[in-house]
Amino acid sequence: MALIRIRGASFGYSRRAVVAGVDLEIRAGRFFGIVGPNGAGKTTLFRGILGLLKPLGGTVERSGATIGYVPQRESLDPLYPLTVQEVVEMGAYRRLSGWRSLTHADREAARTVLARVGLAEKESARFSSLSGGQRQRALIARALLTKPNVLLLDEPTSGVDRAAQARILELLRGLHREGLAILLVSHHLALVRQAVDEVLWVSGGAVRHGDPRELLRPDQLDELFDTHGAPEDD
Amino acid sequence: MDITWGERIDLFRYALTAAAIAGLACPLIGVFLFLRRTSFYGIALPQFAAAGVVFGFVLMPWWASHVGLGDVTLEMALSDTHAVMNYHLAWAATFTFGGLFALVWLGRRGGSEIGRVAAAFAIANAATYVFGRLSPVGKSFVDELLAGEILGVGVHELETISVLLGIVVAAIVVFYRDLVLVSFDREFAVVLGKRVVAFESLLNVLVGVTVAAGTMTLGPTILFGLIVLPPLAARPFASSMNRFLVASSLFGVLAVVGGVYVSFAWDFPLGASVVAVAALELIPALFVRR
Repeated sequence: MALIRIRGASFGYSRRAVVAGVDLEIRAGRFFGIVGPNGAGKTTLFRGILGLLKPLGGTVERSGATIGYVPQRESLDPLYPLTVQEVVEMGAYRRLSGWRSLTHADREAARTVLARVGLAEKESARFSSLSGGQRQRALIARALLTKPNVLLLDEPTSGVDRAAQARILELLRGLHREGLAILLVSHHLALVRQAVDEVLWVSGGAVRHGDPRELLRPDQLDELFDTHGAPEDD
Repeated sequence: MDITWGERIDLFRYALTAAAIAGLACPLIGVFLFLRRTSFYGIALPQFAAAGVVFGFVLMPWWASHVGLGDVTLEMALSDTHAVMNYHLAWAATFTFGGLFALVWLGRRGGSEIGRVAAAFAIANAATYVFGRLSPVGKSFVDELLAGEILGVGVHELETISVLLGIVVAAIVVFYRDLVLVSFDREFAVVLGKRVVAFESLLNVLVGVTVAAGTMTLGPTILFGLIVLPPLAARPFASSMNRFLVASSLFGVLAVVGGVYVSFAWDFPLGASVVAVAALELIPALFVRR
């Protein structure tokens, strides 16, 4: 079942397309990775899929999707004295309006997702005091509280150490095994190669779509990076 | 003849109550300005409001003859600055919202936020003195307004500031969650389907109302202090967002209480005394790192 369906779409800024001719279906239970050289339009495509950018042309249907969004943790200001619990509970705000407060069930659900990502004991800690990997997992917990059927993550392993990367990857694989569709943008090719079912290769304003074992083969990568700078790998 | 503390408090009860209400409400707005890294708005916007009030005096003779001031004569309006409160409030609000929207609009074009706000403050400050020179009430009124000599606040000003800041506090309580969400993680709020632009606009309106009402009633000096300083004093001690808001308000009210004491005990201007006490509240924060 297609959760998000994109047909002939182009995305960009100020009417200038950065990526064009995008045809894509995000289906239930699939794991997608967006990769490509720096500046090729990975983030533009990601924001278009997410709905933060309106398509300049073509169509994007998200009627089947309940999106859980995990931003880059660097985009969140550490000045806010929010606790981990307060950040995670934001995931329950979708259906709350005005003065209506969180229910006991909402708070229990927040504790459950925190335990799911291994941060049960950090509930009362300041969000800004967590390590990079822990903050990333807290943001995944917040996205899970929205009860999504597709999880979209922006560079979830950027700037965290290898142990934290492995833990985040393990968590995402576990969620994938439970049936959640996942789409992440990453410049860590090794991570993408290990985890995903399908790769969206963004380069030169176009999107190639394929099997990671095929598209991310070393000889294939040499060809793909022939005219572009290589992204980080590890 | 010396008068007792009780008599002073009774004599100035309207002014003191207005200051206490501002002490409670202004830091709440200050928290959002601080977290959005726009604390300088808390200094620039009251200066716009002050310029608006003084501009209202420049225009008053023309206004009285062409539009009218209700039952109040021009002489009454010029001799008693509290006689046409709504007229002054309207000019304060016009300049505050004009300045606020100009800053927001220029902010969307990029560039240096600090430079923009500093330039806005310099312009508004100069305009206040130029308008003061042109106004029929002259420089003394401008000096009084800027110093925060609020003891002449009457029942009408108290009612006005109570209603307006009451609405501000109520709006923050009701929309607290959404205002924090939109400020902390705008994109996540968009994905959740929140009306982000509406909440950002609401926050700007709350800032404008607080600044316009506060400047007109209490003067810009006390408003600078109550918007900017209590959140800075409270931030290191706040272990959650709720506690940050509550602690900021408490520091604001304490600054007013302490400022009243200092002002009455040593005959200092009340506005400056409140700001001085609010500044002293920053000292404990210097010893805490969070």
